[in-house]
Amino acid sequence: MSTDDTLEESPDLEGIEEDGDGPTVEFRGGKWMSAVPIVFFIVWAIVQSALFRVGDTTGLAAGMLIGLIIGMLFVRGDWADYANTIFEGMSQPVAVTAVVAWLWAGMFAATIQAGGFVEGLVWLADAVGVEGALFVGITFLLAGLLATGIGTGYGTTVAFVTLFFPAGGLLGANPTLLFGAILSGAVFGDNLAPVSDTTIISAVTQDADIGGVVASRFKYALIAAVPAFVLFVAAGSAMAGIDVAGDAREIFVGLAAVSKMLVFRIPTDAPVGDVSFLPVVETATEASEVGVGGSIYSGAAGFFAISILILLIIGGVWIMVRGGAFDALLEWVLESIATTVRRTELSMVGSVALINAAITINTAAEIAIAPYVARLGERFNVNAYRRANILDANTAALGYIFPWSGGVLVGFEAIRTQVLPEYEWFTAAMVVNPADVFPYVFHGWLLVAVFVIAAWTGFGREYTIDRVPDEVTTL
Amino acid sequence: MSLLEKYLYGWRRRSSRPSFDPDETHRVILTGFDDATATARARVGDSVLRVDGTTREHVDTVARVRVTEFDEGAAQGRAELLEVVGEPVY
Repeated sequence: MSTDDTLEESPDLEGIEEDGDGPTVEFRGGKWMSAVPIVFFIVWAIVQSALFRVGDTTGLAAGMLIGLIIGMLFVRGDWADYANTIFEGMSQPVAVTAVVAWLWAGMFAATIQAGGFVEGLVWLADAVGVEGALFVGITFLLAGLLATGIGTGYGTTVAFVTLFFPAGGLLGANPTLLFGAILSGAVFGDNLAPVSDTTIISAVTQDADIGGVVASRFKYALIAAVPAFVLFVAAGSAMAGIDVAGDAREIFVGLAAVSKMLVFRIPTDAPVGDVSFLPVVETATEASEVGVGGSIYSGAAGFFAISILILLIIGGVWIMVRGGAFDALLEWVLESIATTVRRTELSMVGSVALINAAITINTAAEIAIAPYVARLGERFNVNAYRRANILDANTAALGYIFPWSGGVLVGFEAIRTQVLPEYEWFTAAMVVNPADVFPYVFHGWLLVAVFVIAAWTGFGREYTIDRVPDEVTTL
Repeated sequence: MSLLEKYLYGWRRRSSRPSFDPDETHRVILTGFDDATATARARVGDSVLRVDGTTREHVDTVARVRVTEFDEGAAQGRAELLEVVGEPVY
């Protein structure tokens, strides 16, 4: 009898804080029932977005809340453990980091928008003869460039939806395609940027150096990006844009006037008297006008609802992790499929896809699946670079493809809260539903396709015998 | 390896059954144990090296080995243990 090269024990979810200290929740009906809250939410999101065509983030939060309540009814034992597990999930750094990134990106993008960036961009594109179709392709390239530079696909999505999305609309680009181009740029940067959190996680968890990981994944990113660009230009020519007349004027890349950034509209009987000479104070003539406004205010406020939603989703995911359904799902996939190196690499792609469908913040999904990818790849002496590339490319791509993923939802929320109220010509009918955009995230789909083909054919495959990664370094 | 070489590395198809030449030395993860030969084995892709001089305790370690023979048709071979250099990530 031989000891087979199999997964002998389930690896821990290393890399996520306090992963060994939290309560374990037991469910009536077994550990699979711990997936009830997140599965309920996914079904709710599909029904609301795709079937009812209602794009309302707070509605999704209501779905997640109801899912958490339904899950609680199946708990065996103390409900307090269930509640504490939700709190533990909601306080994970990956979730809070995403929230902070959205608030800051929203604030800055709205301020640049208030400064006239969009109108200037339209003027510049008009002056150099760039119209709808080419603008879509250029948007993909520039979003990819920015995301590669700053390392955050979420931040890039918010900035480009706020600034490039309305400009593209004015230039005759199809809104759904344009949104797909922005999400594709975010995928490119999340995958390739040395400072991207997913890049760093993929390198560190597979014990490879970040520079080597970026260099080794360049080929896959390039092979996917070139046809994606061609597709965006070609589809841009074929798909009709919206018919609006733009208010183009000279470019002004800078901050808004102080009064546009922040304004206090105070009542006439305020105890400080008339201080409307101050640049950030206006006197409200009616009680309903009293309040705080400006781009800093509205830019951040636009992301409050989705911030709460993401925290609730991570709470639901944590129930699935602590309840055992997460481990059971992975073990089933990995043990029943991974019998050859080709099938192993394909199952890595499939497992990463599966986890990204359930854990909608791609950073969190990557941390959760990373130990499995490492363990599985090591059974076949697959090189750390290759493992990191399979892990990160598919995480980056699918985090902006699934309609209920954080990347798509935050872009949708930016359209609703940063574009819709800002431009008279932009109507509610022009808001792109998350269920409509996912086929057009061309770079994401092509990146996944590249890895399916690479796993099948052996393109780019490396073994541990081929080269030893440099020592892991952090930035 | 220079930075440019790192970017150009791997633009080719790699077999699922890599081959080995005698006297090559490699750093491999010992992935399982074969009771019939009482040796640990290193599965590299779909090729297998049985490593002489190992025990069951060597499974799940990273070792430097020297290839002694390899049958390309069967994708099976033998190697000898030189030293244990570490442990895999998980």
